[in-house]
Amino acid sequence: MASVKLTNVKKIYGKNTLAVDNFNLDIADKEFIVFVGPSGCGKSTTLRMIAGLEDISGGTVEIDGVVVNDLQPRDRDIAMVFQNYALYPHLTVFENMAFSLRLKKVPQDEVYKRVTEAAEVLGITEYLTRKPRALSGGQRQRVAIGRAMVRDSKVFLMDEPLSNLDAKLRNQMRAEIILLRKKINTTFIYVTHDQTEAMTLGDRIVIMKDGLIQQVGTPTEVFDMPCNLFVAEFIGAPKMNTFNTKLVKEGDKYYVTPYGAKIEVTGEKATALAAKGVGSQNIILGVRPEHFVLAEAGAPDAISCQILVNEMMGSELHLHVVTENGDKLIVRIPTVSLTDDQRRSLVQGAPLHVTCEGKVMHFFNVEEQTNLLV
Amino acid sequence: MKNNTSSIKKSGLGAKASRRISNTLIYIVLIVMTVVWLFPYFGIVLESLRMESTGRVDYMIPKEWGFGNYEYLFTNTNFPTWFINTTIMGLATAVLQTFFILSMSYTLSRLRFKGRKFLMNFMLILGMFPGFLTMILIYKIFGDLGLTHANAPFGLIIVYCASSGMGYYVSKGFFDTISKSLDEAARIDGATRWQVFYKVIMPLSKPIIIYTILMGFMAPWGDFMLARFLAAGDDLGKNVAVGMWGWLQATNPSTMYTRFCAAGVTVSIPVTAVFLALQKYYVEGVTGGAVKG
Repeated sequence: MASVKLTNVKKIYGKNTLAVDNFNLDIADKEFIVFVGPSGCGKSTTLRMIAGLEDISGGTVEIDGVVVNDLQPRDRDIAMVFQNYALYPHLTVFENMAFSLRLKKVPQDEVYKRVTEAAEVLGITEYLTRKPRALSGGQRQRVAIGRAMVRDSKVFLMDEPLSNLDAKLRNQMRAEIILLRKKINTTFIYVTHDQTEAMTLGDRIVIMKDGLIQQVGTPTEVFDMPCNLFVAEFIGAPKMNTFNTKLVKEGDKYYVTPYGAKIEVTGEKATALAAKGVGSQNIILGVRPEHFVLAEAGAPDAISCQILVNEMMGSELHLHVVTENGDKLIVRIPTVSLTDDQRRSLVQGAPLHVTCEGKVMHFFNVEEQTNLLV
Repeated sequence: MKNNTSSIKKSGLGAKASRRISNTLIYIVLIVMTVVWLFPYFGIVLESLRMESTGRVDYMIPKEWGFGNYEYLFTNTNFPTWFINTTIMGLATAVLQTFFILSMSYTLSRLRFKGRKFLMNFMLILGMFPGFLTMILIYKIFGDLGLTHANAPFGLIIVYCASSGMGYYVSKGFFDTISKSLDEAARIDGATRWQVFYKVIMPLSKPIIIYTILMGFMAPWGDFMLARFLAAGDDLGKNVAVGMWGWLQATNPSTMYTRFCAAGVTVSIPVTAVFLALQKYYVEGVTGGAVKG
């Protein structure tokens, strides 16, 4: 159990390929931090620098106040779970999990106790005598987690541990990791490219792009107040709709004017705009698919469009629509809110009128693509 | 539709029958090849058991059977010395060369250091020059060190092992197929580089270790040029190939021919034994389940 501190961490590959730059982060003891971002954003590289598997080109990494830049992985007291499991194929599950303890010359009965306890927690007791090759993907990943658990190390690193599992198993394992985290209660650093994992697992999320931190915050913070367009589009599924439009200030009130409609900004967003003294300007408007609502045809706040694709997800309807000037949007409507007639009418090619909730819109600067309210 | 089904039927042979025919053909070819391959060895065994004459004859099956040729070999010639010389060289080379090659290959496969690419290319090109280019130099140096004549086997062990690291390509190719994340997992689990090598990588590399050991063990049995040169005519420093060749040169082949064959059969025993002993470790799929495949 330990805190981790990264100061100005930098990674340069070869002569001048900058993989990670200016990475500053304080990770508190027992915190669950998730690095998320598209592939090639430097999240795994950062994790591997913390683990000691990559040299650190600049800056310092501290674990529990000790600079570990020049320490070997084995001297850093960390545990790591790999995306491809990385189990020792010639050893049984028991010996796989006991490997690190044997190297440390832990007494035999202590090894037995720790391994069986971890196996119990992970539900792999009956497989302890098997070789990894005789296990399914999910079981292998459990062994990999078990191998990290028995270590009792200061920091628990996970590099896309669920990416190799199929969708159903991934959901199940995700829930198990949440439970596991309560049981082992140590500092976690978890890398993923999947925003759902990031949102559900993390105490705080670090969103990265091109080697730079875009935003650090709790799942709610990054979802409700993305600091720039990239974060806004990355977090949330289906992704946020963004389109160029105008923000208009009329007296005390703010309006946005997408596709000929005129929609009032309400609630805290309006207050915040006023407090910042934002004037009329061109903006990029961001509206999450679930923040669209059906509107009356001809109403002043209605955006008229046409349904391109109708995806029935069961609990909700995903409508891919095209506006009059050809922009494509995604609208997400809970099925329970629709009458049977409405459900029948929302078919491919049908006209649709939607408006967006005034209190949950996001406003981005056109040039810098930063949030006007951050 | 109708046309299609009838044309399939008309083509006559079902998949089963055509597979049977091709299997039969393959087996015939394999059997012929086996006979061609084994025939000389079979001939040598028969010759070595022939008692009625020690020279060449124009028939194959001995008229009088016995182990006299083998007896003669071990009582009246220097063959035991040559045999022991070669066995010692084989064992020493197998152990040392395997150690050097595997360490070198693992290093080249896993560590990234300055000059690695250059070193690999350099060794590859250097390896293309025939070894006897340096023969005179080696003889001179080893002569000064006292590693020629009766001590030639020790000199030869040094020669066989010294450059063995250059034969890294096969095992490096094998190590490259073992996922690097295994090394990383082990290093995080607390292993040193050396522990990673012998606790994780070595158990997974049995086939390539066996291959390297066999290559190392067999090399001295067939070496002739350098072995003859370093032994410099001293009977105590010869290996089997050089020693036996001497029989066919110096003495009348008609007195030594069947004994030569008996020696040939004897030489094949250790090589076969080592191979059979190690063969069971040639297990396929040892890395199964390590990483997501």
